Amino acid sequence: MPLVDPITMSSSLVKGAAAQAQATSSKAATVTSPSSTPLHPVQTKQTPLAQTARHALPALLAGLFLVRFGALVSDPVSAMTTALPVTAALQMSYAVLCLPAAGSQGAKPARKPRPGEKKRIGAEATGPNAFATSLLSLLLSLLVTPFLHAALVLFGAPFLTHGAHTLLCAAHLSLLALFPLFYVHGVDAAAWAAVGGFSAPFDETFGGLVGGAVGAWLGAVPIPLDWDREWQKWPVTILCGLYGGYVLGRVLGGTLLWGKKF
Amino acid sequence: MPPPNPTPKKGPPPDYKTIAAQFAAAKRAKEVEDADRKATGVQQQHQQQHQQHQGLEGEISERERRRARLETARRKAYQARWAWTAAFWVWLLCVHAVGIAYFTSGFLLTRLVLEEKSACDVPPTAVNTSSGGAAGVVVDLLPAWEGKGTVEGGCWHPRTFDRAVVVVIDALRYDFTVPVEDDELFHNAFPFLWETAVREPNRAFLRPFIADPPTSTLQRLKGLTTGTLPTFVDVGSSFSGTAIDEDNLLMQLRDAGKRIVHLGDDTWEALFPGYFQANLSRAYDSFNVWDLHTVDNGVMEHIFPLMERKSEWDLLIGHCLGVDHAGHRYGPSHPEMTKKLRQMDSFVRDLAATMDDRTVLIVMGDHGMDSKGDHGGESDDEVEAALWMYSPKGIFGRTKPEYATPPATAKVRPVNQIDLVPTLALLMGIPIPFNNLGRPIEEAFAGAAGKSWANLAAAERVTAAGIKRYQSAYFTARGIEQVSGAGSPSELWETAEALVSKGKKQDWPAIFSAFAVYQAETLHRCKALWARFDLKNMGIGIGIMALGVVALLVYVSKGDEDDVIDDEELDLAEKSLELQGITPDTASTPADTLDKSLVSAALVGALPGFIGGVISSFVSGVGDWYRGAGIAALTSIAAVIVRMYEAQDTVLRVLPKTLWGWMAVVFTVSQSVGFASNSYTIWEDSILLFFITTFGFVSALSALRLPSRADRYLAIYHSVVFIVLGRVASFSKLCREEQIPYCTSTYYASATSSTSAPWQLLIPFLVSAILPSILKAYLQTTRSYEGLAPAWIGYVFRTGLFMSALYWLLDAADNGNWIRGLPDKTLKNISVYTAQMVLGLAFVAGTTAFVWAPPCVSIVTSASPTQPSRAQVAILGYANAHGARYLLLPLNLLAACILLSKPMGGGVLGLMAWQMLALLEILDLNQLTTSSPIGPVMLAVLGTFHFFKTGHQAVLSTIQWDAAFIPLFTIRYPYSPLVVAFNTFAGQILAASAVPLLVLWKAGPKRKGLLESVSRALGAFVAYFAVESLATMAWAGHLRRHLMLYRVFGPRFMTAAVVLLVVDVVAIVVSLAGVRCNTMAIGEVFGWAE
Repeated sequence: MPLVDPITMSSSLVKGAAAQAQATSSKAATVTSPSSTPLHPVQTKQTPLAQTARHALPALLAGLFLVRFGALVSDPVSAMTTALPVTAALQMSYAVLCLPAAGSQGAKPARKPRPGEKKRIGAEATGPNAFATSLLSLLLSLLVTPFLHAALVLFGAPFLTHGAHTLLCAAHLSLLALFPLFYVHGVDAAAWAAVGGFSAPFDETFGGLVGGAVGAWLGAVPIPLDWDREWQKWPVTILCGLYGGYVLGRVLGGTLLWGKKF
Repeated sequence: MPPPNPTPKKGPPPDYKTIAAQFAAAKRAKEVEDADRKATGVQQQHQQQHQQHQGLEGEISERERRRARLETARRKAYQARWAWTAAFWVWLLCVHAVGIAYFTSGFLLTRLVLEEKSACDVPPTAVNTSSGGAAGVVVDLLPAWEGKGTVEGGCWHPRTFDRAVVVVIDALRYDFTVPVEDDELFHNAFPFLWETAVREPNRAFLRPFIADPPTSTLQRLKGLTTGTLPTFVDVGSSFSGTAIDEDNLLMQLRDAGKRIVHLGDDTWEALFPGYFQANLSRAYDSFNVWDLHTVDNGVMEHIFPLMERKSEWDLLIGHCLGVDHAGHRYGPSHPEMTKKLRQMDSFVRDLAATMDDRTVLIVMGDHGMDSKGDHGGESDDEVEAALWMYSPKGIFGRTKPEYATPPATAKVRPVNQIDLVPTLALLMGIPIPFNNLGRPIEEAFAGAAGKSWANLAAAERVTAAGIKRYQSAYFTARGIEQVSGAGSPSELWETAEALVSKGKKQDWPAIFSAFAVYQAETLHRCKALWARFDLKNMGIGIGIMALGVVALLVYVSKGDEDDVIDDEELDLAEKSLELQGITPDTASTPADTLDKSLVSAALVGALPGFIGGVISSFVSGVGDWYRGAGIAALTSIAAVIVRMYEAQDTVLRVLPKTLWGWMAVVFTVSQSVGFASNSYTIWEDSILLFFITTFGFVSALSALRLPSRADRYLAIYHSVVFIVLGRVASFSKLCREEQIPYCTSTYYASATSSTSAPWQLLIPFLVSAILPSILKAYLQTTRSYEGLAPAWIGYVFRTGLFMSALYWLLDAADNGNWIRGLPDKTLKNISVYTAQMVLGLAFVAGTTAFVWAPPCVSIVTSASPTQPSRAQVAILGYANAHGARYLLLPLNLLAACILLSKPMGGGVLGLMAWQMLALLEILDLNQLTTSSPIGPVMLAVLGTFHFFKTGHQAVLSTIQWDAAFIPLFTIRYPYSPLVVAFNTFAGQILAASAVPLLVLWKAGPKRKGLLESVSRALGAFVAYFAVESLATMAWAGHLRRHLMLYRVFGPRFMTAAVVLLVVDVVAIVVSLAGVRCNTMAIGEVFGWAE
């Protein structure tokens, strides 16, 4: 006589959590499984202009960073402030030139057009307006910035001091790593769940996110060293890791790793 | 399994027996019903239904008997398996202990102690110069004086004083004694020394007095009396004190028939037993840091009468501890410190007034104190003490006019503490102790005008000759050739001697500086020489540890898939087989025999190694019998690895297979690699926070992959809680010296204090209000807040926390003297008894309760929703039966640690407990509880992180010795060291005791193979610490010539080694024993699962 649950008369109760989860999920009205619709890798546009921009822009980004490195080290806040619009412009032109805007990809039909976009763009029927989408994505990236700031603080960034440094660093992180994803996925929850859960396939946008995040993470490594170098100050190394990782991740994601999954 | 909508009425308050009885009754009723139903199913085919029913009744009672037999057999088998597992862990502890002991014996400095003594009538100048060979060498620079070669006249140098009064003011830092233009409470409170040195330069001088680390009092007293350099290994004996048998000042005085009186710190009695005039001396307990006044008042009370009776003694030592204790207890920046320094000021003022021409008064600090008032290390503040000498005779001089004012900081013109030895010896006319390496202090021999160069040169030369004699004896004893050649001490000696024998008219200053150069070079070389390491022993130690790590890793990776899978069908089948009397051989599953075979392999492997080692040490005649232990450990580990290798296909299984596994490896390895850099060692706390946050983010992202939305939100919620709590805890900091200025200490009221700020006293009250409710919330998710849990967590645990909050309030009231007019020690008495009650509650009552507690479940009966006539029985808390009950054990430790960790530390440990629960939920939701090493490694990271957050660093000076006085009035063995250990390693101890929860949390009573899973989880947990220990060991050995060895690498290795042993012991004594208790209790009620 096995031990059974006296209520359900089933003996499948060894792991309470699993059973509970089943109970909850069967009860829950809407169960969204992130893996139900596999996410397709984002294909860049095939026009010559797009292909040129695709290769030139990362190089430009990296080159500008290298040029401005001295300024960044001597005065991080002002350098990051002046760089922010430049980076935003580069990212926006990258998005507009090379990436399909959210809702325009055939493989991934937008089930729910975003509110706000609906009225202006939906009527024109040929798909979303690239400029509007990029502006909206920019807005979203800026909205996310305070959360990234909080995340940086949680990782150990100064809490009360260096507020401008951390916020600008978060803004750069958001612009580089998240902006292209906002542009191609909008606020599609399933897509973001796949991206967040690292189950999305590699493409330029996702590769950029992974590269940027890992680069910024590794950027923290040299900070504690007692080398007394000017460039060790907050957040120069993080920014270095971010830009380097992002460019590398975006290039690799668009080429070697394209379509691959973790 | 809790019902989805529990609305049952609760039964009577459950206890152990009633639950078991209720459960048995419910089960029996169910069985009968089952059998009935089966019977009705076959009713049509059988006519003798009645008979069969009777037969069934009989069968059931037969089943009961069989079941009882089976249960007993299973309990026995479990106990045997547990014993073998425990034996394996004891073996591992031995391996770690042997490895650490081996490395330590080679790493900590050793110096050969020579037995020779200096003799009064044999000045070293005679020995050395005659060996030089040249005829007509000058034996003495000075013309013969009256009584030369006798103590009365002066053995090696004309005697200056008959008597000396040496007052040691423990931890008298140099800057306490000089004018400093700021408002620090510890500055400008002790001006007398400076004033006299400026006002009467011929009667007094003040100079910085640099201690050789380690700066513990016992080590300093050795240096101050023998004139030799200390060795690091002696620091451990600071608690017990061992007699000095080397030649020293006191021995020379005693042998010359002088009478020595000692007042104050009883460390002197331990170092010099039987030296002191018993009727005049008074010794006081030295470790009672809570007590600022007893020792000082005793010294002051007894010293002045002795000044009236100067004929009764020749050397008087007074050792005051008040300043040191004020530093330990409050930190330097405290009104108590000002008071104490002012008291010392007037004490020395009065004492100086009683001096006569034949007596010299020496006031000195034996070491300094760091910014928090502690000492032991080698930071500047710790080594910079003050030295002041005074005599009304007016013989002190300065060789340069600019030396008239005492140095403004300790960086200018410092003297070494060992320099006091030749100075005092020559002033009092006794021989300089044989092993001395110091040189005479200039001021004492330069004459009142500062022009007595002949006297100075003679003193310098006779001291240098003593050093030379000692050096040749030392090199002969060790059988090493002395270095020669340009710049070597022997060459410098020849140069100096050449100056002496040149002619009648001596160039005294040149001679003086030539010998001074010789002394400085010799001291420099000796310091380097005694930093000599026994590379062979260090190598063996590292080898043992490395092999031990390999064995542990193989053990951990062993048999992930051997884990018994919870297959209900299989369970059912097996159960019915068993009930039919076919008992499967319970003692032959592979997991059972693994530990057993490993332990036997270990023993068999150790035997030849031990015998071989002992024989080889006898044959080679080295006589280091302990070599046997090292070789035995090596062979034993080898045998175990081979046995494990036989039991599994490939060693490659050690490599992780999942992202989580890799994360565990990256955290452990990168940190261990980082220990090669002083920066990463210094900033370890920030790095651990970085890892904790990284894990939290990855787990939050991984939660997005979970299929169920509720699980997803839960997992993200717990991840966020885990991260945020870690960041909140990170605000509690105690910075080490190297972190400044990038770090601000928050653990105490200020960076220069060791008491809590008033607002910090609120923290323990908050913990007692909030923490039990959080625990309740975590238990209620599985409806496990049943059984003993409500009473224990809701009332007993909460009361314990409240009382420890009360303790810290009382302590602060006592420290700050908030309530005036109370009789002395009232608050101290109340607070100590409060603390004892908390500890009694946690350890005595807590352990008893844990052993006897019923499972945290409750059996409720309710009407069945489908058939109202039938009763339904549900067990609340069934799914977490193991985990909820085991949780009570870490909670007991938590209550004790919160009391012992000071208010800030208590709050941090509360956060740690919450984080551990969040971690359990995260792991459970991501199904990482048994198979992945990430759980144990994260617990280890958490434990180490909270080691730093409870006000510790990997340096000796952050040991909170005052914790010993939380539950006790005086030092008592073994309790005081235990209390300090609980204070120091609270984080790691809690983490180690919580490791079984990784497996037991949300494990129902029918889970199999729990012991094996727990043992493997413990293995991964201990592996983290073993790898750290191995890494710090290897780096400390590799960087043994590094500038930061004794500041950074050495202390980190010592921390890692002690932590490893502590964690091993806790794993056996708490975790494994707790799991055994827990499984027995669950098994008694629900039946044995395995």
